[in-house]
Amino acid sequence: MCGIVGLHLKNPALQPELGRLFVPMIEAMTSRGPDSAGLALYDDTGMHVVKDVGLPRDICAAHDIASRSGYQAVGHTRMATESAITPEHAHPFTPAPGLALVHNGSFSNHASVRRNLAFDGITCTTDNDSEVAARFIGREIARGADLEDAMRMVLKEFDGFFTLLVTTATQFAVLRDSFACKPAVIAETTDYVAMASEYHALAELPGITDARIVEPEPERVYAWSR
Amino acid sequence: MVALNAGITQELKIDLATSSIRELNAELHAPTARRYEVHNPRGAEAIAVGLRDEIDVEIHGPAGYYCAGMNMHADIVVHGNVGTGVAENMMSGSVRVRGDASQSAGATAHGGLLVIEGSASMRCGISMKGVDIVVGGNVGPMSAFMAQAGRLVVCGDAGEGLGDSIYEARLYVRGSVASLGSDCVEKQMRDEHVAELTELLAAAGMDHDVSQFRRFGSARRLYHFAAHNSAAY
Amino acid sequence: MTDPTQAGLRESATFDRATIAGIQRAAETGVYDIRGWGAKRAVPHFDDLLLLGASMSRYPLEGYRERCDTDVVLGDRHARNPLHLDIPVTIAGMSFGALSAQAKEALGRGATEVGTSTTTGDGGMTPEERGQSKNLVYQYLPSRYGMNPDDLRSADAIEIVLGQGAKPGGGGMLLGQKISDRVAGMRTLPAGIDQRSACRHPDWTGPDDLTIKILELREITDWQKPIYIKVGATRTYYDVKLAVAAGADVVVVDGMQGGTAATQEVFIEHVGIPTLAAIPQAVQALAELGLHRKVQLIVSGGIRTGADVAKAMALGADAVAIGTAALIALGDNHPRYADEYAKIGSAPGYYDDYQDGRDPAGITTQDPELSARLDPVEGGRRVANYLRVLTLEAQTLARACGKAHLRNLEPEDLVALTIEAAAMARVPLAGTSWIPGQGF
Repeated sequence: MCGIVGLHLKNPALQPELGRLFVPMIEAMTSRGPDSAGLALYDDTGMHVVKDVGLPRDICAAHDIASRSGYQAVGHTRMATESAITPEHAHPFTPAPGLALVHNGSFSNHASVRRNLAFDGITCTTDNDSEVAARFIGREIARGADLEDAMRMVLKEFDGFFTLLVTTATQFAVLRDSFACKPAVIAETTDYVAMASEYHALAELPGITDARIVEPEPERVYAWSR
Repeated sequence: MVALNAGITQELKIDLATSSIRELNAELHAPTARRYEVHNPRGAEAIAVGLRDEIDVEIHGPAGYYCAGMNMHADIVVHGNVGTGVAENMMSGSVRVRGDASQSAGATAHGGLLVIEGSASMRCGISMKGVDIVVGGNVGPMSAFMAQAGRLVVCGDAGEGLGDSIYEARLYVRGSVASLGSDCVEKQMRDEHVAELTELLAAAGMDHDVSQFRRFGSARRLYHFAAHNSAAY
Repeated sequence: MTDPTQAGLRESATFDRATIAGIQRAAETGVYDIRGWGAKRAVPHFDDLLLLGASMSRYPLEGYRERCDTDVVLGDRHARNPLHLDIPVTIAGMSFGALSAQAKEALGRGATEVGTSTTTGDGGMTPEERGQSKNLVYQYLPSRYGMNPDDLRSADAIEIVLGQGAKPGGGGMLLGQKISDRVAGMRTLPAGIDQRSACRHPDWTGPDDLTIKILELREITDWQKPIYIKVGATRTYYDVKLAVAAGADVVVVDGMQGGTAATQEVFIEHVGIPTLAAIPQAVQALAELGLHRKVQLIVSGGIRTGADVAKAMALGADAVAIGTAALIALGDNHPRYADEYAKIGSAPGYYDDYQDGRDPAGITTQDPELSARLDPVEGGRRVANYLRVLTLEAQTLARACGKAHLRNLEPEDLVALTIEAAAMARVPLAGTSWIPGQGF
């Protein structure tokens, strides 16, 4: 149970500003997930992951996230449901190079999917339900699926409630389950695509008042590529 | 807070960049003015909730969850989008959203008028209990789920599962309906329905030809728990 | 009829008579059985625990002479006006609709007479109930039937209901026989329909969104009212932690023996965990957060005697709630109605058809003639008497353990009679230091 945010820059001129734009987004989600927080930043050298327990503000400050540049970022604030509060249990889950997943909701059959993955030799390092979805998507991509297809497979395999934001080095994709109870809002301008659990995480972004605001429909993958 | 008119305070301006939600709602619960302007809402949660006086509140910008929740008597306008559960459980008065509304707009509301000039997403009018809701654009899936009473007018299209398990609420849709939910059926537009729709559109300030609307309501087949309905459960 | 066992006949343990009747009923109707009451199967319970009275190592208090206080404050974590109750036994949420207006009024009268609280239910607040209840907890349920902000403001506390012990994960039910014109009007439903209400709230799902819902409720009530969160006992350790994270002042945990007015039999008997197993989980969650006794814990589900009250409190509850027992105190299942129970295929001690609306005792009905059998003043007196006995019994046991306040009972005052109870309650098997599942 959590808050999720993501920012995918389309305008290269904004890349030096990525961290400065992103930090207020994740901080706005503090009350949805006060236990721990994490983020993945993408720049030309690859994906950089920071996860820790505590408040997003402190975690961002400790790692000077505001000064970071890049083209894409995802973040998560966590209110732990059934697994421990540790840096390892924080999102994003990054089971493969360049792949990051953040989740808001609660899967109801993740134990079975976890066993199926284990049969394929894929083991989770935590008991977190979201990690199972990350590793499942990682497996599908490794088998040749593109990200959008892998996320559609989630709809077939997983039961429960979820809003997912999944990124790769080139893609940024959002998916909600058939009930779509867990909130999500996407804002798009010519400069960026931004996604968050609640609008107020987007309120400080430049040009947000003129952005196209979309609330993702159930069971539909919304994806952007660079 | 800044009084716009000196002397008798008729109008107050509250800037949420400098005032808290608590300060705003405390003032609105014991109003010292007749009209309020709220600035810099920036998607904050629980703006102008639990009002019970005949006051006007204009919110300039986007509001978050539960804006105008449980409203009684007040007339509230949001110049922007609103988050989940706008005007949830409203009893009376009115709420007008100049932009779009997120999930569960007007959920369980018992009365009053909710106007969404843009579109509403999923579950608009869920468990509505007497409110009138007029949406200028579209409504998302599962709208009017278990709707008990009141009227929902959709000037655009309705998403999947409209009116699932509906009770006695009346639904009017101008555009397409992706699918009807369990026990929701199209019904004949009789003179009294044309009259009430005309009235609702006028109250909402929407200009549409009422003959373009279709009416939906309960088939009342699920009102009694029975073996032959088990596929619908 | 002669006793079949006398003739050497053997009943199946697997297909016992109730099971056979259930299969026959299902084959006949094609619809699952719906009934009232809570789980009827035997589960480890407070009877499997004993208190360690004082003798040499501990000193007892004199009954009737030395004080043993019973008061409790509920909801002082965030609320400006917490509840201060004289006794730690409250009346659980039961709706007008499930119960007659007279029964609701009687519960309010009884609770008020002894200085405790009563609770609304899935159907809104009646003026009779508000008028006769000094401390009234207003339930906030998925259906939001009769949900009115003025009632919210007039309540003394707000209880956000996620579930109940009889059916964690299930929504409310009220069958058409009980949807009278007044009940229908309060719920904005057509009279006489079978009402099946939602299991999830219409405008939030999960603890992150509940945090925002609680903020809204606090803003609407100007931060005055305590906010309770009620859960049916299942994954209690996690649920209590999340209730606290979402901002609860009080957490109510209802075990699987907790009653219902109408629920599928399969739900009542097969979902949830016993009250005994839930309390230590809840206390552990609160203790790990440093909030045990700061966020108060109310426990319900099978509280019958002062011994149950004392044992629940020793395990760490701040208060308990009673439902079924309160109805019995009002006259439910009384032998005086034996003939009438027989006419509707039941008997005193067995009657659980609360969904049916034909309650001879006039409690779980909306029938005007049956309801009139219950005098709210006399009913209130009986409830007050019963609450007094529960309190006196709990005090008796607490004094024996050397406690000048009920809240000073602790798990170390308890031992278990069975391994199952010892494991669930996390207290040692009597005469040993063995708590199954711990110390390995």
